[in-house]
Amino acid sequence: MSPAVTVTDLTKRYRGVTALDRVSFSLTENRIYGLLGRNGAGKTTLMQILTAQGFATSGEVTVFGQQPYENEQVLSRVCFIKESQTYPSNLRVHHVLRAARLVHPGWDEKLAQQLVDDFRLPPQRNVRKLSRGMLSSLGIVVGLASRAPLTFFDEPYLGLDAVARQIFYDHLLADYTEHPRTIVLSTHLIDEVSDLIEHVLLIDQGRLLLDAEAETLRGQVVTVSGPVAAVDEFARTGAELHRVLLGATARATVRGDFGPAVHDQARSLGLGLEASSLQELVVRLTTNSNAPAPGADSAGAASKEAVR
Amino acid sequence: MNRALTVARLQFVAWPSVVGWPWGILALSFLINLALFAAMQGDPNVQPTTGGLASIYVVMFIACINTITQDFPFALGLGVSRRSFYLGNVLQFAAQAIGYAAVLYLLAVVEEATDGWGIQLRFFGLPYLWVENPVLRFLGFALPFLLLGFIGIAIALVFKRWGANGMLTLSAAALVVIGGLATLVTWQGWWSAIGGWFADQSGAALLVGWPALLTLPLAAVSYLVIRRATP
Repeated sequence: MSPAVTVTDLTKRYRGVTALDRVSFSLTENRIYGLLGRNGAGKTTLMQILTAQGFATSGEVTVFGQQPYENEQVLSRVCFIKESQTYPSNLRVHHVLRAARLVHPGWDEKLAQQLVDDFRLPPQRNVRKLSRGMLSSLGIVVGLASRAPLTFFDEPYLGLDAVARQIFYDHLLADYTEHPRTIVLSTHLIDEVSDLIEHVLLIDQGRLLLDAEAETLRGQVVTVSGPVAAVDEFARTGAELHRVLLGATARATVRGDFGPAVHDQARSLGLGLEASSLQELVVRLTTNSNAPAPGADSAGAASKEAVR
Repeated sequence: MNRALTVARLQFVAWPSVVGWPWGILALSFLINLALFAAMQGDPNVQPTTGGLASIYVVMFIACINTITQDFPFALGLGVSRRSFYLGNVLQFAAQAIGYAAVLYLLAVVEEATDGWGIQLRFFGLPYLWVENPVLRFLGFALPFLLLGFIGIAIALVFKRWGANGMLTLSAAALVVIGGLATLVTWQGWWSAIGGWFADQSGAALLVGWPALLTLPLAAVSYLVIRRATP
């Protein structure tokens, strides 16, 4: 399949801050991507450049094979729902939906109305008077009903309760199944979306840490616990990401290719072995990468646990 | 071009408020003037001429600032190019200027026919900026909309692209240029010559010619600025 997005050596520097540092990857059409990373990792900057709302310092970006900047052919096929989206003060909810319908050629009005009902959005209310959660819902309605071949959701659920978030996930999956398209979901609630995401991109401090299939990752990271010596021995089979010491026992997160043989080995060493969640992997990888980075504000407050 | 038309339509999705504000404020201004001068009827010293017409131009000026600070981030967020946004925005604003000028022209005609709404009130027709030719008179209503609108667009774009520092730099530069010119003119004693120059200009030149000459470069510069502005 042709790539929906290719990014080559993308760098973005604001005065003194490197928001993106030679990032390269590509997105295949009709898949759901999870763009993960901590606050300020560079996720929003990346999506702004991909949708031509921001400018790169250097590097190449193509969307559907073309430069996105001022390219109507590309932009009309892209929808970018961001948490910080502002609306003109004279618009009501139904005005925003009508505006989105004008701009997006693939707009599905029936779906939009259904979503407005499901999220209990008041169509007559001025957008400036919506609560944070309602504002997020409005973004989600626009993002899903636009049916854009490339849709970005940047923290789409700020202020949304658990029920509304589930409505979002359900609709996203249902609509994606019926109308496949490329979806990039940037989120902090990794556990909630880990079943949704097919491919993971992890950014930390402007660098791409991980570009892998979610399926592959799931078996790759395990948490092993038991006597320190046994854990030490097991940890040598992979890369240790994190360790907690409790007297003579240790609990370590290890990344590697763990086949059945390794599981047998763990059992023979008397170790407890469990698969780690995607969230745990992300947490371990991003706290780990903090340590060696120069000038990182990795205050020890993040964890008092012994790392390595 | 299609996308530009889409933007123009997009800016009218809430058309009652778009059209309602300028005309509502103008109607209010007109009614207050009407009541005021009706109450002063009989005083021979009163010449019922007002500047209330300026209110609609001020509202449109503010509306143009809002299109950049509010509509621009919204339209770009929906997936419109800067070029299409700019063209569409200019299109919708020019359409408003032409339509509103036509209505103001008609109201000025009615004002004359009714002898100033029965009380010699000059609200829509300005005696000291009189234009005889009907086409020029119509343009005399339309061009000030465009000039003020593009001044608003240009200022808002400076803010959008360069932020508060850009605004401060612009204000400082304006202060230096205007203050410097004023000093120069005072020092050289040119004020009366400048006053004379303005007095010599016809109403058409002040309402149509000069605004058109100033609007064009503003529109061109604004286009260059918006092409690198971020929402």
